[in-house]
Amino acid sequence: MTLLTEATDVFAAADTTGRCIVAFLAKRQPVLPGAFGAGERAAIASVLRSLQAEDWRLSVRAMFDPQGAGEPTAFDTGFAHAVDVAGAFEAPSLSAALAGTIRLEQAGWSRRFATEWLLGPREFATVGGTGDAAAHEWGFVALWEWNDAWAAATGPQRREYDAECDVAFAGDVALDISIAGRHRLDWASSWHHIGIWEAPSIAAVDAAMRGHEHAADFKFTTSRHFIGRRRPLADLIAMDRGTA
Amino acid sequence: MSDCIWIHYARPRPHWYGLNATAKQAKQANWQAVAAASLQQGGTCLGTYHVRGQHDFETVELWRFPSAEAAFAHWSGLMAAGYGECNAFANNIGLASGAPP
Repeated sequence: MTLLTEATDVFAAADTTGRCIVAFLAKRQPVLPGAFGAGERAAIASVLRSLQAEDWRLSVRAMFDPQGAGEPTAFDTGFAHAVDVAGAFEAPSLSAALAGTIRLEQAGWSRRFATEWLLGPREFATVGGTGDAAAHEWGFVALWEWNDAWAAATGPQRREYDAECDVAFAGDVALDISIAGRHRLDWASSWHHIGIWEAPSIAAVDAAMRGHEHAADFKFTTSRHFIGRRRPLADLIAMDRGTA
Repeated sequence: MSDCIWIHYARPRPHWYGLNATAKQAKQANWQAVAAASLQQGGTCLGTYHVRGQHDFETVELWRFPSAEAAFAHWSGLMAAGYGECNAFANNIGLASGAPP
């Protein structure tokens, strides 16, 4: 696969060619009595178990540690965003990813959430932080597109920009942030890439963003960011709208 | 194999308008070669439609592909040929539901 932009000192091209992210930005829907309950929750859990058996990874944590990740998790984002839940799975192929979203929706997910699914192949491998990433409970989801200024820039200008951003990414890792690589979304979205971090705190993410601003990261990208706290996916599905 | 629809919205980026006709034609020829290869490999182009009057983009182009991977291959070929450097875009993929119309 041709990378949209080249590998860097921090990011290496992935050797898991073909694996595909299934990211989701989900907003809880008002649920009428009888429309969503224990039956739908059990059906979604059953689909998730099937996906696990089909070599899916059912959390960002599992992208770093496929064997030790435990139950499916996602990030609780409703305190800061119109989106209530943000998260990501990883499927073994594009076709499996697309079919999997429909299996989940039909099991009852669509009764619970209005969801923007974002699918695409892995480009860069994971980059671990400096500490115990499994203990980190904050997630940061970045979506971005290369903007008109990037499109008009020359090759040398883009390489200089990549080198500047790489300094910022090295700073992220030094803040004990783990980066789940990079996936490509452009074939089925207006976004070009997604990057997801596990971070020790919101303060660490804020410090990292200052580093990216200093590196002029956003002169060539238009971005949207989400931050949330890791919770079991089953709890996020079960939660009533508006409750903590 | 599964029947997929692929929906592609596009508009020229600002610097496209500064290219001369020869440069534009050379790029368009490369993109047309990618489309021809996709047609050869089982894709079907359903047409390109003008939507500028009621949308952020200028055109919408519809394709059917035999798989999600075929849609990705088509798009990846266009991007490797510099399409995204000259066009802003938004894409979508859908799997045929099998439901009657």
